[in-house]
Amino acid sequence: MEEKLLTNLFEIKDSFTIDVYLEHDGYKAVEKAFQEMNPESILAEVKNANLRGRGGAGFPAGVKWGFVPKDVDKPKYLCVNADEGEPGTIKDRYIMTHDPHLLLEGIIIASYCVGINTAYIYIRGEYENVALRLEKAIAEANAKGYLGKNILNSGFDCQIYVHRGAGAYICGEETALLESLEGKRGNPRLKPPFPALVGLFQSPTVINNIETLSNVPKIILNGADWFVQTGLPKDGGTRIFGISGMVQKPGIYEMPVGTSLKDIIFKVAGGMKDGKKLKAVIPGGMSAPILTADEVDITMDFDSLAEAKSMLGSAAIIVIDENTPILDVLKKITKFYSHESCGQCTPCRIGTNWINKTVQRIAEGQGKIEDIDNIIRLASNILGKTLCPMGDAAAMPILSIVNKFRQEIESYIGN
Amino acid sequence: MVKIFIDEKPLEVEEGITVFSAAEQAGIEIPHFCYHPAFAPEGTCRMCLIEIEGVPKLELACAEVVRDGMKVSTNNAKVVEARKGVLEFLLADHPMDCPICDQAGDCKLQDYYEQYGMLESQFSEVKEKRDKKRKIGQKLIHDQERCVLCRRCVRFTREVTKTQELGVFERGVHAEINILEDLPVDNKYSGNLAQICPVGAITDLDFRFQTRSWFLKSGDSICPLCSRGCSISVDSHRGFYRFKVPKRVYRIRSRRNDDVNGFWICDIGRYGYGYINENRLGQILSKNDRNEAINWEKALNMLSEKMKKVHPMDRTSGAVLIINPWLTNEELFLIKKFLIENQEFKNVYLIDIPDGEGDDFLITTERSPNKRGLQELGVKTKSLSSDKLPEKIKLVLAFSPPNIDAEGLASVKAVFDLAETKILFTSHENDLSNTADMVFPTAVIAEKEGSLINIDGVLQKFSPALEALGDSRPEWQILIELAKEIDTNYKYYNQFSSPEAILQEMRKEISDFGKKSD
Amino acid sequence: MSLEFSDKIKKEVLDIIARYPEKKAALLPVLHVAQQEFGFIGEDTERMVAGLLDIKPVQVREVVTFYTMYNRQPVGKYHIQVCSNLTCSLLGAESLIDYLKKKFNIGLGETTEDKKFTISTVECLGACEQAPCMMVNFDYYGDLDEGKIDKILDNLK
Repeated sequence: MEEKLLTNLFEIKDSFTIDVYLEHDGYKAVEKAFQEMNPESILAEVKNANLRGRGGAGFPAGVKWGFVPKDVDKPKYLCVNADEGEPGTIKDRYIMTHDPHLLLEGIIIASYCVGINTAYIYIRGEYENVALRLEKAIAEANAKGYLGKNILNSGFDCQIYVHRGAGAYICGEETALLESLEGKRGNPRLKPPFPALVGLFQSPTVINNIETLSNVPKIILNGADWFVQTGLPKDGGTRIFGISGMVQKPGIYEMPVGTSLKDIIFKVAGGMKDGKKLKAVIPGGMSAPILTADEVDITMDFDSLAEAKSMLGSAAIIVIDENTPILDVLKKITKFYSHESCGQCTPCRIGTNWINKTVQRIAEGQGKIEDIDNIIRLASNILGKTLCPMGDAAAMPILSIVNKFRQEIESYIGN
Repeated sequence: MVKIFIDEKPLEVEEGITVFSAAEQAGIEIPHFCYHPAFAPEGTCRMCLIEIEGVPKLELACAEVVRDGMKVSTNNAKVVEARKGVLEFLLADHPMDCPICDQAGDCKLQDYYEQYGMLESQFSEVKEKRDKKRKIGQKLIHDQERCVLCRRCVRFTREVTKTQELGVFERGVHAEINILEDLPVDNKYSGNLAQICPVGAITDLDFRFQTRSWFLKSGDSICPLCSRGCSISVDSHRGFYRFKVPKRVYRIRSRRNDDVNGFWICDIGRYGYGYINENRLGQILSKNDRNEAINWEKALNMLSEKMKKVHPMDRTSGAVLIINPWLTNEELFLIKKFLIENQEFKNVYLIDIPDGEGDDFLITTERSPNKRGLQELGVKTKSLSSDKLPEKIKLVLAFSPPNIDAEGLASVKAVFDLAETKILFTSHENDLSNTADMVFPTAVIAEKEGSLINIDGVLQKFSPALEALGDSRPEWQILIELAKEIDTNYKYYNQFSSPEAILQEMRKEISDFGKKSD
Repeated sequence: MSLEFSDKIKKEVLDIIARYPEKKAALLPVLHVAQQEFGFIGEDTERMVAGLLDIKPVQVREVVTFYTMYNRQPVGKYHIQVCSNLTCSLLGAESLIDYLKKKFNIGLGETTEDKKFTISTVECLGACEQAPCMMVNFDYYGDLDEGKIDKILDNLK
């Protein structure tokens, strides 16, 4: 049985309470970090583990922490990205619901490493019940002295606050998250400057995903080498794969990085639902370019999927069956991005809406054959031209579907 | 300094500037909407994308800082395609309003469309319908369909006036610039919003449907309505052959001057140009020859005769000179040399322009353009409203300012009532012209050449932005002609072929004159 | 009519404001509190919150209209928000939405006459493994079919 690094407590009753957590080596990593290590050795450990971000971009967490300047006379901040808006993604909700203290431990260690005294968990507004559970866990951690002033007599203060979002997918983008945390519209910022230098409230800021931070305690306890042994050499550890759509057993499954997509769909998730045949798979959340049924013999890691011109993203797998018209899939995608565009920059604001209108028109039977090339042209004019990555997140799946399923889409035109 | 290449042209530029500014220095204007030199780069219109060698993604010229050895292309195939793409997006959601839009001829969208030859629309959807023709300020009309969401207007109200009336509501393609219904744009700089809008989304009510921008010609000038002396651009009609155009000047816009007003002007200056057009005096009036047209030569001759008639003994008490703080430095210098020193006008009065409400930005409480000139030239004046007048006045020469108010007129009339011979120099028709013996039409500042000194002591030179109306002439010209006729040292004035020559002479005489000049 | 928070809520709001170095940063959480208290964010609420946080009312309006969870009009006691995104659609969300519309005889975005239920569609709720799913106020319900929907909603007081 493969070792579960993140989900090992999920099935235990009351796993979210600090008492149960403490019974299972809870907060031992914090104790080790504060009593046997120092910020430099913690950073070295996380860097050596090559812990890659699990929010979507895959940027190594250790490198990110290292970007924050050491001596500044401004307070530093940690923002924990719990916005989880990428369609298909469900994993962070599970961590926060079933093992919030694992997350808190990761936050405390990260904060100690970078010299951060205030951390905000930016949680999407819809996850209100999860936010309440987090707040309870934070209160428990405070009561036991793992948060607050002078943690474990180290002289180091740290506090975590939960900040609720209010319904905007774009706030999962790190600079839009910062804007939203500052009480403004979720408009992504121009980079440079980068958040590590100018982030929240003009101060150096680290932004990490829930799952990324949840990996930190065990890396500290067991060491970087142990982490790298699971998964792949350049891409260690496990991923909590979320799988949904036309499979027998949708849900979350923690597996090593590099697990075969085919295995996840047909072995772990029980194969296709109701005996349907596989048509396509979105491997990493809606922003990941689609894979046809012939392309699912691939390992789930950053490099393999990038080579296949898709992406691992948030490791959220959506399985589509042959009875689903690809136009329906495309419709949902274009509607989503057009709805979630913040509206700041021209290509995304107008382009996503234009493409959506065209696709809806095709779906209503009013399509023209030129529409398909037009969609490709418009999506190409969005790709790489926008202020933030959401433009690419919109353009890439649209292009992949129109290119790979062109014949099927053409069949809807002229009917 | 760093060395960069723009379109293969080598350039040496200061460190720390953007590619956009560097290109400007090389004479290349990179297309843009949201960029404005008054604000930090916004980076949202995506129109200024350029290619940097070695960088796979196109970068923004407005935000990218120059690096030594950088090779930039502002017009290769990849860049042009990206530009066309952005333009196409903007046009797709833009209404076909050109025939009724005031911005036409002055519109970036039109200009770039023309440059990039977009001819056939591939937009087969229904355009978004939004609110049009909404009054969002006293002089501002807003059209949400034309808006390209560059947000220059929002940034202006946020960063410049700090009044923050405008905001962006809704999200995505429904995003719109808007106000709260009961909090319209209400500040003294609102006109700048219509000027910075790159398209016809915010237009000026004052200019609405008045004329087309291509009928206008722009001239540089200085605003004379307070002591700030903001740099302005005066837009006047070129005129039609077949029929008379109702106005001469159609609008005033701000002109960039980093030493005085930055990028902006206030609404008083912007909308207060009516005096240039209305009630102007375009011809010489003489009480004696009312039925006969009189030309300048004859008129100046008549005046010099009248002036010579005043006995030197009577000059000290019986000759009154009334001047105003709109007169340029050159005019004041001539008045000092010729009228005060040579012709011994000892009773010099100043028509005071009443103070107004100032602010901590551009508007000064002092509402006259050249009080400092008077000070630096050492011209001592008495107040018409408070100082005593001589009992018997043989001759009064009155230079009346364009915006003389009822009180000013009354105070000049009080002098006229005591005077035997009354000579009036005025740009506008007013009650005094009926009582004066001779009335000479003068040009206003927008029609003159000269210099003024503003409240901070900055000397600013300006040239005519439009032709003098009718037969009117600038005061400096009148004074030189008159001086040549009756000044004992008349040859002195031969060197003054232009106000520039006068200014040079002033600087020789007064070493510190206009010390803080350009 | 000027709106005010009750003393108890005001204390909660002040605690929230204290978490941030800038008052303005508390805007999103405070608007949630206001919505819980007053049912929706109307003009009065916008101005009151603006005053509390030392910002201009237009800044509040900017935020309220950007985020989908703030209701600018009152909604029913139970706001039924059905996910209409990809996975939920694959598993029959569309027909469930139609069912709800028929059940209460209202359209999307509308409220029942007794002001008890409002139906809307939303984008991905992050519960795709339980597709099709809906959120009623803040409670998630998944693996839905018509029968389950009836059971859940008919039990709501």
